[in-house]
Amino acid sequence: MGAYISQIRINLRLTIRDRTVLFFNFLFPMIFFFIFGFMMHAEQGGAIVQIVNMVLTLGILGSGFFGAGMRSVMDRESNILRRFKVAPITAGPILVSQMVVGLLLYIPVVILVLALAHFVYGMPPLEHPGSLTAFVLIGVLAFRAMGGIIGAVANSMQESQIIIQILYFPMLFLGGATFPIAIMPNWLQIVAQFIPSTYLSTGITAILEGHETIWDNLMPAGALIVTSIVGTFLALKLFRWDKDDKLQPSAKFWVLAVLAPFVAMGVYQAYAKDNVAKGKVLAREMRRNQTHLIRDARLFLGDGNVIEQGSVLVKNGRIEEIYTGSAPDAKTLKAEAIDAAGKTLMPGLIDVHVHLGSPGGFFTNANDFEPPVKAFPRELAAYLYSGVTAVKSAGDPLDEVLKARAVIASGEKLGSELFAVGPLFTTPGGHGTEYSKNMPEAARASFDAQFLRLPKTADEAKKMVDELAARHVDGIKTILEAGVPGYSFVRMDPALIKSIVEEAHAKDLPVVCHTGNAKDVEDAVNAGVDGIEHGSMDDAIPEALFAQMKQAGITYDPTLSVVEAFSLIAQGKNDGLDRTLVQQVGPKKLLDSTKAFLQGAAGQKMREGIAKYPVSMAISGQNLMAAMRAGVTLVTGTDSGNPTLIHGPALHRELQLWAEAGVPSAVALQAATFNGAQLLRASNRIGLIRKGFEANLLLVDGNPLKDIAATERISLVMFKGERVDRGDLFDQQ
Amino acid sequence: MDTSIHVKGLEKSYGDVHAVRGIDFDVAPGEVFGLLGPNGAGKTTTVEILEGLRPRTSGDVKVLGQDPGVNVRTLKDRIGVCLQSTNLPAKITVREALAMFSAFYSRHADIDKLIDRLQLGEKRGAFYQTLSGGQKQRVALALALVNDPQLVFLDEPTTGLDPQVRLEIHSLIGELRDAKRTILITTHYIEEAERLCDRVAIVDQGKIIAIGTPREIQAQTLGTSRVEIHTVEPMPAEAPNFECAEKSVMSEDRRVLIVYSAKPARTLPGVVKWIDQNGLDLEDIHLKRPTLEDVFIELTGKRLRD
Repeated sequence: MGAYISQIRINLRLTIRDRTVLFFNFLFPMIFFFIFGFMMHAEQGGAIVQIVNMVLTLGILGSGFFGAGMRSVMDRESNILRRFKVAPITAGPILVSQMVVGLLLYIPVVILVLALAHFVYGMPPLEHPGSLTAFVLIGVLAFRAMGGIIGAVANSMQESQIIIQILYFPMLFLGGATFPIAIMPNWLQIVAQFIPSTYLSTGITAILEGHETIWDNLMPAGALIVTSIVGTFLALKLFRWDKDDKLQPSAKFWVLAVLAPFVAMGVYQAYAKDNVAKGKVLAREMRRNQTHLIRDARLFLGDGNVIEQGSVLVKNGRIEEIYTGSAPDAKTLKAEAIDAAGKTLMPGLIDVHVHLGSPGGFFTNANDFEPPVKAFPRELAAYLYSGVTAVKSAGDPLDEVLKARAVIASGEKLGSELFAVGPLFTTPGGHGTEYSKNMPEAARASFDAQFLRLPKTADEAKKMVDELAARHVDGIKTILEAGVPGYSFVRMDPALIKSIVEEAHAKDLPVVCHTGNAKDVEDAVNAGVDGIEHGSMDDAIPEALFAQMKQAGITYDPTLSVVEAFSLIAQGKNDGLDRTLVQQVGPKKLLDSTKAFLQGAAGQKMREGIAKYPVSMAISGQNLMAAMRAGVTLVTGTDSGNPTLIHGPALHRELQLWAEAGVPSAVALQAATFNGAQLLRASNRIGLIRKGFEANLLLVDGNPLKDIAATERISLVMFKGERVDRGDLFDQQ
Repeated sequence: MDTSIHVKGLEKSYGDVHAVRGIDFDVAPGEVFGLLGPNGAGKTTTVEILEGLRPRTSGDVKVLGQDPGVNVRTLKDRIGVCLQSTNLPAKITVREALAMFSAFYSRHADIDKLIDRLQLGEKRGAFYQTLSGGQKQRVALALALVNDPQLVFLDEPTTGLDPQVRLEIHSLIGELRDAKRTILITTHYIEEAERLCDRVAIVDQGKIIAIGTPREIQAQTLGTSRVEIHTVEPMPAEAPNFECAEKSVMSEDRRVLIVYSAKPARTLPGVVKWIDQNGLDLEDIHLKRPTLEDVFIELTGKRLRD
């Protein structure tokens, strides 16, 4: 024991006396810290976690490879260890004391870096300081063990340098220390999962960002601990006092033994990929922490109020402050300035009626049809591209739509926030059942299980609602429509809808109802639903009924886009596919094959079908105006996914159709923002430019209050505080 | 315990290379014993086996009654070792170095007294890197004494040091001898062995080729002295047979004559007379007693140092 303590004391003293150690341990990280802090504008919040992670990881790598690895070779090569050989001790005190000193010297670095990050760059105080300390110290142990084993197997300084460089550089550049793993190509992200420093830097980042503790990082911490133990054990076994005692060249394979836990982790991750996903989430989180000042814009707040000249400060993903008049100084606010003079800033748009399960067109080649796991995120990216920051899926396969919701919610993929009802509540032979009518029996059963609920009794309906509530759907969608002669459906018993509504309300879930005509609307309103979808496209809804809706706070969503789309298809036009935003979000293959489809024989057949199902733009528009006059809460849905309604930009057309029907721009924009958020039960966090709300913002050129088409001239989309790189949205892996 | 070190039939091979090929010797308590031989003779290998640093191939070895191949830790605790080429961290002070090593042992010498005894008092707090070569060697010697050992191994203690420093080290070793410590010293300096050792073993190619007190070893051989004469002018080509001389060797330029003789006092007058008779001026004259070096050359046919 005396030998251990004396070794620790003397080693500590010697290390503190060594100026190169002080330089590499303290000064070097500080230089990095400030250079990168300055270059990456750490004060603006988006880079500080990355910089702290970089400095800490760099320190650990240095301590391990150079502090432990190189040093042990140097001690042997310069005959210092020889002297110890003749004393009655083992390698234990020597190795252990170096490890302890490495740990002790690293603690001040952690404190220093965290203190500077907080006091100089305003990083929020750590939520889990104990976890961070424990995790980085485990890291120091593991990397010093790796260094130790290199020192043990290298027969000369040159050899040790070669081995160290082989390991150090990939760990530095591929492990997420210098730049986030998420920006690398997918295959390289998998390669990174074989590299120990990847787990170190993702763990440090996750703990720094406050989501995780060391207990959430048990697997990486475990792998690091295994490496520490194996490395220390082997370093003891292979310890050499004398430079003249050479090891076989094959002894270098022991290095692999130390890395083995990470090979195992890498193989596992190549399959599970959860650490890859975590890397993406962490990188997203960093971007969302950036501080922005959007200055000198016209602000449409979402609730109808307008500030003619104002600025919005966005911090940590939320709206921090709203300024009226001349903009404050961005530098003082430690914000990145976004000049917006002559532009209009509004809350991100909300489309409350889409179907992600259909692409909005036709693929002539069935192989082009993407599976939901790919298609849904891409469609949600297209919405975000178009400035639509929240969408509600009004009927889609349950499992897939919940998966898509999760992948967006976690931040792993960037796309519009998804709200989902899952399956449709309809009745055998009712609207919704026609899609699977021609499928083979087995396929139909699985499709219907995901897409339809066909309750026969009130009890059955309630049970189905309960099951969906347990899956955490965001609402319930019911169908009430008889169709038209030649295109008729079995109409659901309105009493069943009432049961559904009661149970859904008991579970705090809003219920919307698909309606075909005024009678459907009347029955749905009487059943107590929260929102009417489509309303009536072929007869007028009585003013009294709208008055009743206003009274009950029921929303009205006219989905004029789908009315127009069907009218245009019936006329043999495909104007919808030629709109500029539609062309931008594509995919081009879909647009081309849809055009070809509509011009071909299949298109002709479709036109004949649509002709049987009379929809009237005029009546739909008149119903909308009547609803507005009655003071009904209006919301905007597009029914995107229907033919020629490509996912993404349809809401802009919807707004234009509202304007054409006579709705003032301000009313339409409020419907597309604040009102939509209300129907989604999210108006406490989205749909308004208000302090504390999520920074989901759309900046457009010009003034959509005067010219509604200005909403299409998108200057910037911000989502949860991240300035969306729209060009990159479709390149996400 | 009769002997501090007992070695019998010691052999050490590295594959086909036979570094030590059957060595026998004993060292008595309080004795200073020298292993003398050229580089690569097997001295260091022998010593490292005794110190417990290397396993032996065969033979009997006892050091302080212990088999160094078995009780290494106990043995290391009781001996002191001054290694041939060691180093210490650049920024360790003399006192720290001694204290650090002292902590490894169960017996402890008084470090400050040790420092004074080795004349390192002024350098007590100095960093190792600032010490001169002699001071570093004194530190190495001090390190061998931190556990107050009865048996001290000194492996080439003065190699690479300048003559002045070598003398200092010699006097320190002399003090150790006076303090009745048993010392095993390896060296390839003849004068070191002659001056310091009670007994010497001459080692060559892994074997002991002569053993005894320096005087005994000299006596074992022919023990001829050399008379060396330098003249200004060349001497006659043929020198006569001088009295008691065994042979004469003339240099090529005939200005140096070496006469080997067991009784130089008798030989010398004849040589001087012969020079005078030939009308030559005597420039220089040396009389050299036989040394261990001569013995070594005689036994092995080669010089100790190249």
